[in-house]
Amino acid sequence: MKKYVLTRLLKSVISILLVVMIVMLLLFKMVSRTKIFDQDAGYKKMQGDAKTAYTYTRWEELGYLDYQTMSDMCTNAGSEDTTACLTVGSDEQQRVVDQYAADGYTIQYLESGMPFASRDYTMVELVWNFLTTFIRVDNPWYIQDPNNPDLERKYYLSTTYEGLPAIKCSGCLAETQIYIDGSFPFIHQNVVELNFGNSFPTNQGVPTMTVIMQGQGTPQQADTTFPTGVTQPSSVNLNACKYKMTSTLDHLDTTKFDTNYADCALNYKDPSMASTSLMFGLMSLIIAYLIAIPAGIQMARKKGKLVDKIGIVYINFLIALPSLAFIFLVKQIGNFFGAPDKFPQYGFGDIRSYVLPIIILALLNTASLMTWVRRYMVDQTNADYVKFAKAKGLSQSEIFNRHILKNAIIPIVNGIPSSVVACLSGSVITESIFSIPGMGKMLPDAIKVVNNNMVITLTFIFASLSILAVLVGDLLMTVIDPRIQLTAKGDTR
Amino acid sequence: MSENKFTFVQMKEDASEHIAAPQYSYWKSVFRQFFSSKVAIVMLLIVLFIVIMSIVHPMISGYDPRDPGFINDRSMHYIWPCLEFPFGTDNVGKNLFDAVWAGTRNSLFIAAMATLISTVIGVIVGMFWGYSKKIDVFMIEVYNVVANVPFTLIVMVLVYALGGGIWQLIFAMSVTSWISVAYFIRVQVMIIRDREYNLASRCLGTPVSKIVTHNILPYLVSVIVTSVARDIPSYISYEVFLSYLGVGLGKDVASLGQMIQTYSPYMLSAPYMFWLPLIVAAAISVSFYIVGQTLADASDPKTHMN
Repeated sequence: MKKYVLTRLLKSVISILLVVMIVMLLLFKMVSRTKIFDQDAGYKKMQGDAKTAYTYTRWEELGYLDYQTMSDMCTNAGSEDTTACLTVGSDEQQRVVDQYAADGYTIQYLESGMPFASRDYTMVELVWNFLTTFIRVDNPWYIQDPNNPDLERKYYLSTTYEGLPAIKCSGCLAETQIYIDGSFPFIHQNVVELNFGNSFPTNQGVPTMTVIMQGQGTPQQADTTFPTGVTQPSSVNLNACKYKMTSTLDHLDTTKFDTNYADCALNYKDPSMASTSLMFGLMSLIIAYLIAIPAGIQMARKKGKLVDKIGIVYINFLIALPSLAFIFLVKQIGNFFGAPDKFPQYGFGDIRSYVLPIIILALLNTASLMTWVRRYMVDQTNADYVKFAKAKGLSQSEIFNRHILKNAIIPIVNGIPSSVVACLSGSVITESIFSIPGMGKMLPDAIKVVNNNMVITLTFIFASLSILAVLVGDLLMTVIDPRIQLTAKGDTR
Repeated sequence: MSENKFTFVQMKEDASEHIAAPQYSYWKSVFRQFFSSKVAIVMLLIVLFIVIMSIVHPMISGYDPRDPGFINDRSMHYIWPCLEFPFGTDNVGKNLFDAVWAGTRNSLFIAAMATLISTVIGVIVGMFWGYSKKIDVFMIEVYNVVANVPFTLIVMVLVYALGGGIWQLIFAMSVTSWISVAYFIRVQVMIIRDREYNLASRCLGTPVSKIVTHNILPYLVSVIVTSVARDIPSYISYEVFLSYLGVGLGKDVASLGQMIQTYSPYMLSAPYMFWLPLIVAAAISVSFYIVGQTLADASDPKTHMN
């Protein structure tokens, strides 16, 4: 069993990486790279050499190509006479440029006549660059600060600023490595960080993972006592402080912090995109199960009767109707009863913002759930043990609630994680329609503004969630029913 | 006992050829079963109406979403549905009736092509997948990778990478969905392949390709019809959904989803602009679904007994 889980996990990781890499290659090789500037206001105002330099710098930053300015080329080629190398038309410059051209770089010239070199990454290099940068494991030797040679390198047990236990580190990038606090998911870590590059053109310069995981809205001010003892209203999250190089440390930092860990993230009023989506997903799933399981059981008990027929009509209606039409229909009915049209109308603080989207997401899930509950229950009613129970004189409800349900629930449990996946695609459209600031809305938004790194990040998150969900579903099934074994025994041809 | 009480009876040649079993034609039974449902007949008429209208009407109207229409003639804007404009006109004076049918044509075309491609590839691959264990070992791994990733995600990313357009959308939809059709067929083939008549066939040395095409394929007709019946409405929904999000068909191609998105700000001021395309999309999807389901039920030989 352990071996099976390990192989499954390994396979899952491979599948996730495979999907992400395929998506990455698609985006980098098939989407025109000039399209990324379509939404960039700054780019449109630029002209001439500045525009060329900006374009290539961005492309390099986003990982399309290796861009070398003349001064980079001079340094890298080991030119002894830098002045001559940077003079347009000099022999030294020609030598360096020829050397780069021979290495497979494309040489282009700015309007000023200054050459620059660029080389597109091949597919293999793209994948390699991605794989080597995408996981960052923090360790006590992470920080190399020339101005702070005596930096201690150790892990130590301590408390957070709220007084809860935490593992801290000196020499790591993040000061607090693992800590506990009152907000979901209660145990937080800063050890392993996924890096998918920076978001562009929306949220320029911010890593995509930060965009998704960081709180939204305005920063939340609270009286904070800093390590030096200074207390002042501030919105920094003292558990998320990173190392700041001594050269960039300013007076304000030294008055508040006694170490170099002064680059802190902020606390925000509203939850992050990820937790917003998660909350909507979980709430709607719970409601979907609360509706679908009793409804499915009733349909199975009254098979062929009116209840069953109404249920089947409802299921078919839901499957046949485009989800868009269904969402708008329910939304219209909800608006009639005074529910808000869009989520931001009342915002995060008001329960009225949540009702309609959660109901819609839940109802979208019920159709397939009800079908399966009914199917499994009906299948079980013909089993021998049911006939036996009948013969023994058990009542109809006893048979259904005690015996059939227990057996029929097994495949349903297996399906729970898959409904999480169904929730994801449902959330894309529901979040878009209600303008809910979650990950689901982010995907089409990122696609529309050609935010490649964001698309890759979201692909990774959605793909890994769904792949792991299927694995969890299978494992859950074996826990509930010990007869089921995942490892196949014997030959099945 | 005298001999003249008996007469010799001539042997009837044609009577010996006669087979006592009642005449049975598969397709005749399918249609008889199908037309016994009144709802299905009504829905079939709606489907036929939609298909014919979506083919004929855009030819007559020559609707082009890039055409500015009566953008400067204010009297043509926001006309509520009337005899002249059955679906009214929009904020730039376009005739919505023309737009809806042009969009319907594209939706139907995309759904039909995507279903055709994914079904043909899926059935062919699925039959060999189900029959051969060697292929199964490899394909099941491929399936595990592809099937676990949300379909919406793959389609959205693909359409984005390929650029919006009818053929790009068809490609994006069929490139991943054939594998689920293939998986569906695989399971069915696995159920059938070890039945006695196939074992006998194998013993007699029939090649695999012949067993697959002659012994197994006819069994799969109803299964394939079921899958097609499920796919067409879901592709229609997907096209509407993707175009609504702005990642499906571009602005240059008429589409129902695009119309729903464009007109959603007018939901209160000119509700017909928003609701009519939505209702048409729902009507197409529902009628196709019901016709497909009834046909799928009718194509199952087990229903022909009564």
